Amino acid sequence: MSQEHQEFRDDCLAILRRQTEGKRVHRRRFLQAIAALGIVPTAVRFTPVAHAAAGELVIVNWGGDAVPAYDEIWAKPFNAANAGVKAMINGAGPTSGKIKAMVESGAVTWDVCDRTVPASVELGRQGLLEKVNWSIVAKDKLRPAHRSDWGVGAYLYAFVLTHDRQALRGAVPKTWADFWNVKDFPGKRTLRNNIEGMLEAALMADGVAPDKIYPINVDRALDKIKQIKQHTIFWTTGAESQQLFRNKEVVMGNLWHTRSMLLAKEVGDRIQFTFDQGVLFAGAWLVPKGNPGKDLAWKFIASAQDPRSQVELLKRVGNGPINPEAAALVPAELKVNDCGSPENFAKQVAVDSEWYAEHYATALNRYMDAIAS
Amino acid sequence: MSAAAVASSGTPRGERLYWALLVLPCVFLGLFYVVPVINVLVMSVTVPRLGLSNYADLVANPAVRRVLWTTVRIGVLTTAITLLLGYIVAYALVHTSARQRQTLLAIVVASFWISVLIRAFAWVAILQSAGLVNSALMGLGLIDSPLQLVRNEVGVMIGMVHYMLPYAILPLYANMSGIDRSLVPAARALGATPAQAFRWVFLPMSLPGLIGAGIIVLIFSLGFYITPAILGGGKTIMVAEYISVQISETLRWGLAAMLATTLLASVLLLVFWLSRFMDVEAALRK
Repeated sequence: MSQEHQEFRDDCLAILRRQTEGKRVHRRRFLQAIAALGIVPTAVRFTPVAHAAAGELVIVNWGGDAVPAYDEIWAKPFNAANAGVKAMINGAGPTSGKIKAMVESGAVTWDVCDRTVPASVELGRQGLLEKVNWSIVAKDKLRPAHRSDWGVGAYLYAFVLTHDRQALRGAVPKTWADFWNVKDFPGKRTLRNNIEGMLEAALMADGVAPDKIYPINVDRALDKIKQIKQHTIFWTTGAESQQLFRNKEVVMGNLWHTRSMLLAKEVGDRIQFTFDQGVLFAGAWLVPKGNPGKDLAWKFIASAQDPRSQVELLKRVGNGPINPEAAALVPAELKVNDCGSPENFAKQVAVDSEWYAEHYATALNRYMDAIAS
Repeated sequence: MSAAAVASSGTPRGERLYWALLVLPCVFLGLFYVVPVINVLVMSVTVPRLGLSNYADLVANPAVRRVLWTTVRIGVLTTAITLLLGYIVAYALVHTSARQRQTLLAIVVASFWISVLIRAFAWVAILQSAGLVNSALMGLGLIDSPLQLVRNEVGVMIGMVHYMLPYAILPLYANMSGIDRSLVPAARALGATPAQAFRWVFLPMSLPGLIGAGIIVLIFSLGFYITPAILGGGKTIMVAEYISVQISETLRWGLAAMLATTLLASVLLLVFWLSRFMDVEAALRK
């Protein structure tokens, strides 16, 4: 991954089972070897995939604890409610590259993929996805920003300002402007080596109002990133972002909130984070074009809209429920860490999927170049 | 009768058998290696549209140029440092006692058993600001603030040199153990200083090993993926990582295929160029 750029789903559900990293190693070494030999794109097609038979439904997420968690929360109840159906969770990691290879080679074996709303728009426009069947999936269980023509919001996650209270000796960074202030908050910081949540933070640090972030002025954001580049370590995997804090290599970071939660739990109240000025993303279900299970995929996705199941996911891995009805079901002690709760929701910047769908590839390449130069 | 004897005796029946045995691996390689490679070559000029627009990026796109330059710079530096260190170890291996040689070789070979990921993380633990090296140096009062040894290009190079060392040591050792041990003493007897004897006698004879090891190390170094990703702190992006992002994230397959083709072509050209003035095959065989 990144290192393939690691996706949030990959991470948050891999949190509890570290063995996942082992799987990633082999995939990476494999990619490294074939990249050296120059056979990358076609090799993607040779990647072994699960073959779906009649009544089987293949749901693909990012491995690790995603597999047992999704299985218990969604697949097993779905199989119990639908006779003759066998929904299976596969942790292969549905990257855009794999979906494209699968659809274009006409050998689609996946039914449901765990991605984001922006990705659903980006891939949908390229003709790689089925349009959402809104007669099966309920539109009114989602806020308008959490659905697209090709994607159904699945859960919420956020990029949040996290800091080490001890290392900063009591100084508390409250905004991204503080994050960029190396004089009053000395020490290394960490940002992700991907644009999601990072360009937004840079703009807020530069004085852009949270409701004026989109469309992102990439030049302005990159200039701001370059200002603190020499003080910054760029993380790739969620585990890495956590390790940087654990080893006291950094004093502040822009992290996935699930990792910040885990750090606070593991390291103690030395680690603090805030949803203020957080950047809120929506994970989404999407269906590759020509999926073998047809409408069964939408039935499964509809079943995952059940607010109780989404609260279960919050309990297990920290992802915020996306169905607004779920807020009332969240236990009191979890409310403070629920990035989708009405209070926390109001503090954060909601991502503009349209902007990402149009500009993700170009902006990502420019970001990589900016941090490498 | 041994297999080799059958082959050399050249009976038509034996030959047919051996040709038949050759077919399977050839078909396998053709299907799973040659065809995909050709596919990539083709994709680099057909995606997103027919033409050389992807190759224009080599000149016109500063980001692509930077990634390639980083890759070449790190690859060449890694190769140079690895060869220097590897040469010293191989030289010691050849000149030490048989018993010590066994121990040393075992240590060199043992590093093959440790996965690249574990090694990268071990280097992070050793080199980070609160790591072994920095704590020791600060404890001794040699430095006041920790040195930045990792999460930058220095860290990447340390990790890569460490990974590549056995690939340099083993061919160099094989080559050096083939050098007649009486030649250096003979040069000394004829009045050469130790430095002269090494410079004019031993070094030229070890050159094939040096070049063979250099080719292997350079080719591997250009394709490094995981070591720069972990030890580079996100700021050192080499071509393999860039290709993987273009494949799985930005879906610019044409660009990725072009870079993969460029990498492949450069490596082949390198080998071809070297073969013009030396026996690459013999060097690699050693």
